[in-house]
Amino acid sequence: MSEKLYQIISKVFSVDSNRINDETSPENLEEWNSFNFYVLLDEIEKEFQMKFDLDELLEVKKVGDLKKIFTKHGINIE
Amino acid sequence: MKNEENLAYFLNEAKTIKPRELGKKLRVAFLASSTINGFEETMRVKCYQKGIDCVTYVADYNQYNQEILNENSGLYQFKPDITFLILDTRHILGDYFFSLYSVIDDDRSKIISKKINEIGNICNTFTKNSDSKLVVTSLQIPNYSPYGIDDGHVMTSLRRIISEINTELFQWNLQYKLLTYDFDQFVRKYGENNIFNYKQFFSGDIKISTEYIPKFIDELMRYVYAVTGMTKKCIVLDLDNTLWGGIIGEDGFDNIKLGDNPVGRAFVEFQKRLLALNQRGILLAINSKNNFDDAIEVIQKHPSMILREDNFACVKINWEDKVENLQKISKELNIGLDSMVFFDDDPINQEYVKKSLPEVTIVDLPRDSSQYSQIITEMKEFEVLRITEEDTKRSSMYLGQKKRKELENKVGDFNEFLKHMNIHVEVKKANSFTIPRISQLTLKTNQFNMTTKRYQEEEVSKFSSSDNKIVECVQVSDKFGDNGITGTYIIEKKNDEEWIIDTFLLSCRIMGRGVEEIMMNQIIEKARLFGIKRIKAEFIPTAKNKPAENFYQKLGFNKENNFWVFNTDNTMKKPEHIKVIKNE
Repeated sequence: MSEKLYQIISKVFSVDSNRINDETSPENLEEWNSFNFYVLLDEIEKEFQMKFDLDELLEVKKVGDLKKIFTKHGINIE
Repeated sequence: MKNEENLAYFLNEAKTIKPRELGKKLRVAFLASSTINGFEETMRVKCYQKGIDCVTYVADYNQYNQEILNENSGLYQFKPDITFLILDTRHILGDYFFSLYSVIDDDRSKIISKKINEIGNICNTFTKNSDSKLVVTSLQIPNYSPYGIDDGHVMTSLRRIISEINTELFQWNLQYKLLTYDFDQFVRKYGENNIFNYKQFFSGDIKISTEYIPKFIDELMRYVYAVTGMTKKCIVLDLDNTLWGGIIGEDGFDNIKLGDNPVGRAFVEFQKRLLALNQRGILLAINSKNNFDDAIEVIQKHPSMILREDNFACVKINWEDKVENLQKISKELNIGLDSMVFFDDDPINQEYVKKSLPEVTIVDLPRDSSQYSQIITEMKEFEVLRITEEDTKRSSMYLGQKKRKELENKVGDFNEFLKHMNIHVEVKKANSFTIPRISQLTLKTNQFNMTTKRYQEEEVSKFSSSDNKIVECVQVSDKFGDNGITGTYIIEKKNDEEWIIDTFLLSCRIMGRGVEEIMMNQIIEKARLFGIKRIKAEFIPTAKNKPAENFYQKLGFNKENNFWVFNTDNTMKKPEHIKVIKNE
């Protein structure tokens, strides 16, 4: 399942999926910017059939944070 | 949503496209009162897919006022062809957006006129400072009202106030350069709850949600089609299972599905949509494999048939190859294949035409005929910025054309035929009535067009009021009716000795009957009156204007470097079968 998340990220930002891990963030991935982050959230919401809260989306600083939110929503991605 | 339609696709694709050498160029500027990331990327990709190299300018966040007011701003330096000013209700109304309850009824009109003046002032400043078209979005009428079900009768109704502002905005369309896009129509189509995403609004001031940005840019592409002259001119239709349900050759006149039954209604509705397009200037043609007599009987006599023989500018009902038929239709109507849209229910035919004639737009018609009407109403390929009188008359003009062809075939000898035609050419000056059509001719004429310079209305208008230019057009009529304004020329008076032909064109449906020679004689005669010695002209070859290639040589112009020059002391051959009416 982690794989699926990485794939979405790699598709939205158009980067190789082996460049994606839990520490990936706008700081170390220049293709990730404040705007296409919204597009990423759209894609994740559709794929995992969930909705982020406003608080949650503000909290996301790196890929690992997304996983924490999944856990909170009871979505098992490991 | 398919991958090719989501915003991620456009954002990534925008990074890879590179300008091509040939191809149409377009400069687009975006101004907005909210975040519009993703707009320009999507527009560049969509343009690229249609063969247009689009470069964009995006004003900084909420800086549209400053950009418009400052004559030296980046916006003006960019010199856009089209500028989109994307306004939104929240921004324009401020706190009134939430409640107008505190406003007494008498102040309503003050609010309305104040808001309209604000928008009007910046639009006017822009049009004074720039030659660009300005597309301003109308305001969205919110779904919610604090007055609830009583909103309709409350004088401070938000919806009513916004409607009144919008009505005023649409009035501005009467001016040359201002165009109002009905944004509310876009929201009605997809729904406010989809387009407005509170999370994106609160966190990023995004007022059109990221998911719907590609849909919105699709809407703006309508202007791109119209401004770049990519509008489709003709719809070519199959018959069986396209205009009626069933197969006439098998089911017979009484059993095809057309009329008051579920499937029949779908085809009647589709035909009504086609008729409406036909009435405003889109030509219709038939390309069908059938026995001519069986099929034409339906068109002539079926009680539920909406489109009749006279609605079709060209009819090919035969057992010949569909691609060959399309080529013949293109030739007979003098309309390029790339100006044609083909409707055929058979996927094999769709594929075959797509492969053989990639220029033709093939509509991906599904098996389900109930979708046909929706498909045609969602097409954006028929947009023109302004529908002219010529557009609404076009269909009957082509009918005249059909009858001319019949006469030509009957008479046999072409010169004899021309004499029978009683052609009259009326020379008209550019004025407020003819300028929209002159501009349209420069935008749409491809074949008999010596320089293929495209001019918007305001440019033609500027030329016509300049002392250094002559802008005239010709209205052509004959025994079969009025062809409308079909030719135009723009002359640049270089000095006391020499005039330069900047633009010289004739609509392809009139080509070859001597009107082009009459137009050139008109120029030469006028030049002699002004004591001009030389007329200098240029032929700029394009992929399409080969029919005009030898025109200057034929009329006695001499080649000098890249130009064709006519000495006005020489005589020019003048067709005698045409009567000229001058409106000096």
